[in-house]
Amino acid sequence: MILLNYMASFFLIVLGLYCIVCKYDLMKSVIGLSIMDYGVNLLIITIGFNPGGTAPIYTFGELKPESFFVDPIPQALTLTSIVIGACVTAMSLSLVIKLKEMYGTTDTHEIRRLRG
Amino acid sequence: MMMQHYPILAIMTYFLGAFLIVIFGKARAIRNAVGFLATAVPLCLLIMLVKPVMMNGEIIAYWMGGRVPAGGYAIGIALEVDALSLFFGLLIATAVFAAMLYSFSYMSHDDNEPQYYTLFLMLCGGVMGLVLSGDLFNMFIMVEILTFAAVALTAFRNTVFGALEAAFKYLVVGSIGSSCILAGTIMLYAQAHTLNFAQLSAMIPGNLNVATMVAYALLFIGFCTKAFLVPFHPLAADAHGAAPAPVSVLISGVLTKSGLYGIIRLTYILFRTMNLGSVQFWLVFLGSVSMFVCVTMALAQHDFKRLLAFHSISQIGYVLTAAGLATALGVSAGLYHAMNHTLFKGLLFLCAGAVLHETGTTDLDKLGGLSKKMPQTTVLFLVGAFSISGIPPFNGFASKWLIYQATYQKAVESGNIGFVLVTICCLVTSTLTLASFVKVTQSVFFGQLPKEYENVREVSFGMRLAMGLLALLCIVTGLFPGLVTSFLTEPAARAVFGANTYINAMMGAGYAEGFGLVDALPVSFLSVGVWSPISWLCLLMIMLLAVAIVAVSTKYDQVSALARTAAAEEAAAAAGPRYGSGSLAEGKYELFFGGEETVFSQVGGDDMFWGFKHNWRHYFSFMHNLHSGIVNDYSLWAVIALALAMLYAIIVL
Repeated sequence: MILLNYMASFFLIVLGLYCIVCKYDLMKSVIGLSIMDYGVNLLIITIGFNPGGTAPIYTFGELKPESFFVDPIPQALTLTSIVIGACVTAMSLSLVIKLKEMYGTTDTHEIRRLRG
Repeated sequence: MMMQHYPILAIMTYFLGAFLIVIFGKARAIRNAVGFLATAVPLCLLIMLVKPVMMNGEIIAYWMGGRVPAGGYAIGIALEVDALSLFFGLLIATAVFAAMLYSFSYMSHDDNEPQYYTLFLMLCGGVMGLVLSGDLFNMFIMVEILTFAAVALTAFRNTVFGALEAAFKYLVVGSIGSSCILAGTIMLYAQAHTLNFAQLSAMIPGNLNVATMVAYALLFIGFCTKAFLVPFHPLAADAHGAAPAPVSVLISGVLTKSGLYGIIRLTYILFRTMNLGSVQFWLVFLGSVSMFVCVTMALAQHDFKRLLAFHSISQIGYVLTAAGLATALGVSAGLYHAMNHTLFKGLLFLCAGAVLHETGTTDLDKLGGLSKKMPQTTVLFLVGAFSISGIPPFNGFASKWLIYQATYQKAVESGNIGFVLVTICCLVTSTLTLASFVKVTQSVFFGQLPKEYENVREVSFGMRLAMGLLALLCIVTGLFPGLVTSFLTEPAARAVFGANTYINAMMGAGYAEGFGLVDALPVSFLSVGVWSPISWLCLLMIMLLAVAIVAVSTKYDQVSALARTAAAEEAAAAAGPRYGSGSLAEGKYELFFGGEETVFSQVGGDDMFWGFKHNWRHYFSFMHNLHSGIVNDYSLWAVIALALAMLYAIIVL
């Protein structure tokens, strides 16, 4: 079960990279970035998962040596990472809008004034 | 003790300044005052740390909220400032301060100024947070902050040619890099269950397996993206060309340093893999390739700022090469060059900005003769150009000389002839750097003044002040290399080799030794002193003799030269147009000095070194086609670099 999670996360990362490298459209590049982000997020969550563990919400009185819960740190990291991913998407989409206005296209082969 | 709080105050001042400008930034006086204070205060705070950290060798460990480690596990978020962090922090604070001074008058014609200063200070805070942080995930957050701010600042003048395009490319490839850093971080967390740098560096070196090696490759490529090393160098060139000049200073002087800092921290302290020959080869190879490829790319450029951008990465290649030698002298030389790079590259970008500010263009083919109108900028530019080319009284000479010594010494010590080739590569790169700066100086500041620039004036005092500050630092660090090495670079190099001290300062005494770690390398800054004036004098005599023989034996014959030109013209007319803007039929490539037509014409950027460029035309056209400007290609390079790094890490290590 947990192996499936790892496989899915690496599949998503590779899919995202494929999308960025092979799709000649700015929108698809942005989508690829998002997919890659989701893959990394899934990886983080999977690493923090303990089979059979409960949610890591305790007060000091409830916390005993035998209490078994999933690792809370990766969950905090995922939240941060999701926020950052949303920012990447927002910013790249705003750039795409401006690029479309200026170049009249979203084809990456047309948007190559800077080269050499 | 008050000193413990200086690092966090330095970081927070930048962010506080950014938020204050959002709220109160409408009025120019308040905005400038906040901007000035927000960059001056961290600089002062870090200078006050020089005495305890650099001279007394203390390490400042600061746990946020006082959450100190319990049971050998770091549970809080930490800042840790050793000499290496402080060294990079000082560089950053200085460059940022100069760029801020320059911005006051340079940006005064733009609209949306408050947004500019907000992003500017966010970028500064991000980089400062990265170098002073002692927590891997915190480093990732700071990387994201600085990437966003840099992308936004690149696209700030979004009507400028290519600004949006450059920003988008930077965002895509930069995000791939950031994701690599995050994935690497989390894979290390899975192995060690901590994010604290000190604890990780105690746990990881003894437990190297496939997962940690993949994490190593991911983090390495992530920081390479931030330092714009070779597969990522087109991004730097694009971003620099479009960004305002003070932002170029930040991207070249500050952002690349954060990447370098990450690489040094990662290889020397976190993984301690620098004693392995394969890692040394990896870093030295990458550095040498970066410096050579980028300097040749720079030779072919027609845009002032784009040319400087390629040189910037070329100099970063020097730093990485020297740092990859894994000798104390090498690291010290590399850090010295990193400092000089920040100073002279900042100065050169500000000069380019001054030219752009007054003439409205950075096209080398259009400019010329500006020394008559902007004498002070010309002098300041020459200081920067001499420094980057490594001409003796200036700082570039001192650090490049140390790098030559270090690479040669490494060859002597290890008996590996390959390091001599690295020395030669460094020398050739330095020569090509000088060549392209002769080209820039000639085509921008000397020669004929085009008619449309008759009314150009010297830039304002504020801009000259910022440039003068950096030029002064270039001269001072060049005149007193002994002081720089003993107070700045050698303590930092000692910190690089003293990972156990770093760990113990954070986690308690004896923590590193508990993991069976020892600081392996003895720290010695002695150079072999490969310097023999007599042999150089002999070389000079031989060269003079050779020139004399050639001059006497092939007497210059006007008539036969003209005949040869005529024959070449016919041949060229038959063969059609050749490489370059001019063809042989114009006689441009035949007679460099003589001829009626060329006497009164401007010697443009393209005319200089035409023979060299003509002989290398296949290489140049190959490189030109390779840098296609398509974002997919650059992403593909990133993915290939990542795959190669992972394979290398798993197979060789």
